[in-house]
Amino acid sequence: MARVKFLCDTDRCIECNACATSCKNEHEVPWGMVRRRVVTINDGSPGEKSIAISCMHCTDAPCVAVCPTDTLYQTDIGVVLHNKDNCIGCGYCFYACPFGAPQFPRATLFGTRGIMDKCTYCAGGPEENGSEAEFRKYGRNRIAEGKLPICAEVCSTRALLAGDGEVIGEIYRERVLARGFGSGAWGWETAYYPEEA
Amino acid sequence: MTMTHAAGAGAPPSTGGAGYRIGGAIVALVLLVLLAVQVFEIFDDDARTIPEYRWGTPPISNVQSGLSGVGTDELLRERATLQGPREVFGPSPENQRTYQVGSETQMISEEIETPSALQTLAWSDPSRETLPMVRGTDRVEGISSLPYVGAEVYERPFARDWRLGMADFATHLGALAILGFAFLLAAFLAIRGRVPISSGKSGRKVERFGFIERATHWMTSGSFVMLALTGIVIAYGDTLILPFGDYVLGQTGWLATWGHMMFFPPFALGILTMFILWIRDALPSKLDLQWLKQGGGLFRDDVHPSARRFNAGQKLIFWSVILGGGILVLSGITLMFPFFWLDINGMGWVMLTHAIVAVLMIAVILGHIYIGSVGMQGAFWAMWTGDVDRNMAAEHHDLWLEEIDRKRGPAE
Repeated sequence: MARVKFLCDTDRCIECNACATSCKNEHEVPWGMVRRRVVTINDGSPGEKSIAISCMHCTDAPCVAVCPTDTLYQTDIGVVLHNKDNCIGCGYCFYACPFGAPQFPRATLFGTRGIMDKCTYCAGGPEENGSEAEFRKYGRNRIAEGKLPICAEVCSTRALLAGDGEVIGEIYRERVLARGFGSGAWGWETAYYPEEA
Repeated sequence: MTMTHAAGAGAPPSTGGAGYRIGGAIVALVLLVLLAVQVFEIFDDDARTIPEYRWGTPPISNVQSGLSGVGTDELLRERATLQGPREVFGPSPENQRTYQVGSETQMISEEIETPSALQTLAWSDPSRETLPMVRGTDRVEGISSLPYVGAEVYERPFARDWRLGMADFATHLGALAILGFAFLLAAFLAIRGRVPISSGKSGRKVERFGFIERATHWMTSGSFVMLALTGIVIAYGDTLILPFGDYVLGQTGWLATWGHMMFFPPFALGILTMFILWIRDALPSKLDLQWLKQGGGLFRDDVHPSARRFNAGQKLIFWSVILGGGILVLSGITLMFPFFWLDINGMGWVMLTHAIVAVLMIAVILGHIYIGSVGMQGAFWAMWTGDVDRNMAAEHHDLWLEEIDRKRGPAE
């Protein structure tokens, strides 16, 4: 069975933010929230690296474990989805997320969080696949259409890879072998092999 | 079975002594079973996140029924291959499909009937080719052009520890503390019975708490009970409410979130008022050591250590409420305004502190409720009507009673 993952090659990412932009556009993500963002490390110095990050759809996902209302759930291809009808905006998933993926709109005067939104791996939510209700709450369901997340498919340098972990791992390995350098798949140990850490 | 009285006390047996003890024994047994279940829960190794939904291609013929995982697998692999260079991964595989691609929606999902941890375990185990290309776990922070809190943090391994702190430590510690303490109280009731007024009721009253004091107490306790219940929904809803369905849990959770916020102002006000009202009587003194050494006279009817207005037990409750409640109020306010003065790690610690102090407070207050109601004859009325029987005051607060009598002359 396929186990989908994200892999961002820091030696290729040029911080163009196309992934973040196309994601916001594809899913009509509301103001004040981002499902994918680009972080630049050592900005302006030698060794500067950029890396795109969103929900990594972790193995043994910590957000699912701490959710008090069973909002978050994982599917058999590894994708972590959320049920907006159950979310109470407690923010536990945000404290438990190693990658800062869950996003909350500011809902009231008291700084209370609204209902959580996060990357769905372009796989929608618990509503019927491809339905209007699903699009309104979770954005487009590209997985159901047999496509991969827009952020990776739109990446012009192929820095961001998505899809079955074995396939994108192989693509990355071939690439590192061909160019002769590389710094490892960032975030993979934290996200996918927590027991190795 | 009648209650054992101190020799020479000569008072009639207090009402329903045996009933209280039998009730205590039954409750203790039930709690013992719950405790055993809880201890088993700690060690049964099911704390992993496991997949609850499965993807598949819809049935393509009458022969095939249900979802087919094979189509999903091939679709995802094929599409991922398109990201690799053509000279390595070959031409686009679109024309070599072995499965049918029909409608626009090619995959659907459904609930897994019996989820298991096998898949999670397989996922956690990297293959020999994979491991060398995986970068290790590290806190990584850079810059981001986005104006959101924490946008510049790429990776924060502490989050995984926070999950352990919340989902394992705080949750299990709370369940053990609450159930365990409740069990001890019930067992104490079963073995010792109600603490009686050993010289019997005198029928004469003395005022123990004024109106302001009682009003403050009930405002604080009422809001604490509501805060505890709403908190329990959030902390233990997965166990207590989820069996009634996702929808019920979501709705109760939503009510609990807002209830938790609504009952906080009277609680905070109550803590502050009680501090001002009772701090003078609750300062520790030498008498308290004596009281503690004699176990507060809890275990024997004929032992009544001296105390002023508050004995050491009451002082302990006072200080745990002031300190525990104070921590809960301050951490709660911090949590209501995310990132106002703390970053994400700081907020994580505040959340953990709030949860752990809260479950311990529930356990402590259970003890307070016990001794103030079924645990001790006549204690409840001190806080309800404000008056207690003179004999009860003489047994538990002798020095205070003398002082009152000196001031006002003996009560009528």
